[in-house]
Amino acid sequence: MQNQEGLQADGEVKSATSVPATEFDEWANFADNDIMQQHSAIHAEEAEKIPYVADKEPLSSLAAEYQSGSTILLEKIKVLNEQYASIRRTRGDGNCFFRSFMFSYLEHILESQDQAEVNRIKANVEECRKTLQGLGYTDFTFEDFFTLFIEQLDSVLQGNEDSISHDELVVRSRDQSISDYVVMFFRFVTAGEIQKRSEFFEPFIMGLTNATVEQFCKSSVEPMGEESDHVHITALSDALGVPIRVVYLDRSSCDNGGVSVNHHDFIPADSNLPNASGGKTFSPFITLLYRPGHYDILYQK
Amino acid sequence: MADDKYNLKNPAVKRILQEVKEMQSNPSDDFMSLPLEENIFEWQFAIRGPRDSEFEGGIYHGRIQLPAEYPFKPPSFMLLTPNGRFETQTKICLSISNHHPEHWQPSWSVRTALVALIAFMPTNPNGALGSLDYKKEERRALAIKSRETPPKFGTPERQKLIDEIHEYMLSKAPPVPQSSPSQALEENSPKSEDEAQKSSVDDGAAPASESLPNPPAGDVIVERVLEAPVNPNPGRVSVRAVREVPPTSTSNQMLQTRVQKPADDRLFTWAAVGLTLAILVLLLKKFMKSSGPGAVFMDGS
Repeated sequence: MQNQEGLQADGEVKSATSVPATEFDEWANFADNDIMQQHSAIHAEEAEKIPYVADKEPLSSLAAEYQSGSTILLEKIKVLNEQYASIRRTRGDGNCFFRSFMFSYLEHILESQDQAEVNRIKANVEECRKTLQGLGYTDFTFEDFFTLFIEQLDSVLQGNEDSISHDELVVRSRDQSISDYVVMFFRFVTAGEIQKRSEFFEPFIMGLTNATVEQFCKSSVEPMGEESDHVHITALSDALGVPIRVVYLDRSSCDNGGVSVNHHDFIPADSNLPNASGGKTFSPFITLLYRPGHYDILYQK
Repeated sequence: MADDKYNLKNPAVKRILQEVKEMQSNPSDDFMSLPLEENIFEWQFAIRGPRDSEFEGGIYHGRIQLPAEYPFKPPSFMLLTPNGRFETQTKICLSISNHHPEHWQPSWSVRTALVALIAFMPTNPNGALGSLDYKKEERRALAIKSRETPPKFGTPERQKLIDEIHEYMLSKAPPVPQSSPSQALEENSPKSEDEAQKSSVDDGAAPASESLPNPPAGDVIVERVLEAPVNPNPGRVSVRAVREVPPTSTSNQMLQTRVQKPADDRLFTWAAVGLTLAILVLLLKKFMKSSGPGAVFMDGS
């Protein structure tokens, strides 16, 4: 945002090349255009730094980021180091939570080949479809996104014609026409869950904004690039029945001077996971690292 | 539509074709929209002026441009028919219709946006870019004119589509409610004044201006088209006359084919309101008379 003039210039170049049709000159020159251009310019700048889903890096690369910075953070990264081996960064385009979740989940299925889990989540996805229909969403507005997610799910299971390798999963996660569609699928699922259980979510939403549940979904869940917080995570985790652990890396420190890293487990509301109530032994297979404003993927040792 | 021309793997194309199908299978009386045959990212549309507004009966044509990233990016709208609310050949600022481009979401569609556009026509432009703030009479005159011929625009093929859409809309949209207000005024005002005087005399010279400060101004007449006959008020009586006498001097024959049913309902409503008002005025007067010197503030009337 700091360098607006430069950004807008970039945006003009970009939009000039991305417009598909011919007779389009007279559409330009408008407030909406400026906003859109600025948005796409910011995204373009972000894209140069990092793909939607980056390569796996050792945790030491995280420490390197803070070399000249806060000692609390460096201490915390040391603590993280005991439990986690590596990090996979995602692009900070406002979709990072959903994108991290997407990659982490599909990667887990690819590695575990857990057919039972796939069957389970497919049943949940069907429920989500019905939820949206019940809320009055038009089928054609969401079904493409659902279809694409199911396709990805099937292709990470090996033994089919369309099965893909881990490398291919990485490629797809960086391909906008797949990656954004899966992100949007999660946004639909999240919006549907929040509205279905609006009484439950209302107080949390009131705490965040002044909006009604529906307004919140329209302005903060469904639009691409809107950032996620605990409301989104809770809703997605509940809707799909997938537990998520979020590890917080921030400057807060304990009263006794010691450093510990907090985490929060989002456990699906109606889950009957064997270890869920057992506490310590339970660990979700999706672990995300949260730094204020951003989510990345963490890998356990 | 030649589906095979397009890459159905392209999610935007797939989605747009679904919208076309949906548009054709659920036609609306309020709007019609179809893509050009040679480019499904370019659509033509026409909307019907919203009921109970100065746009009623108008048929407004425009074009829609869908971006390559549709439905992630919003469509752009542009009107071609002069209407007095939006500039023609200028992109309509979606922000003003609550469809902020940065909050555009894939669950919206061309249909959603057209419905929003219709709802937006009678609202106050508040100086928004690309908006016009014409007087109601001017807008009404444009609404009448809009039915005569569709706008001339673009290639012969596009023109053919525009003409087809116009035919369809003419068959669906009831005509502009009445002849132009100035004509109505000339025709009927002498009679109405007589009648007004008569009625004033009849019920004891109640000054009509009490309940309606500016008598037969054109604006008021049109607004009160369906006023009750019992109301002892020159402006309103004249309006009543307009309604009863078929608009003979109009060149547009279709005006006479106006559907009467909703009008009759509203007529009864207004009759009831008018009666109530008259009774109230009489009661008030009686009360004022009986309370003698207390009625000082009646002097003004």
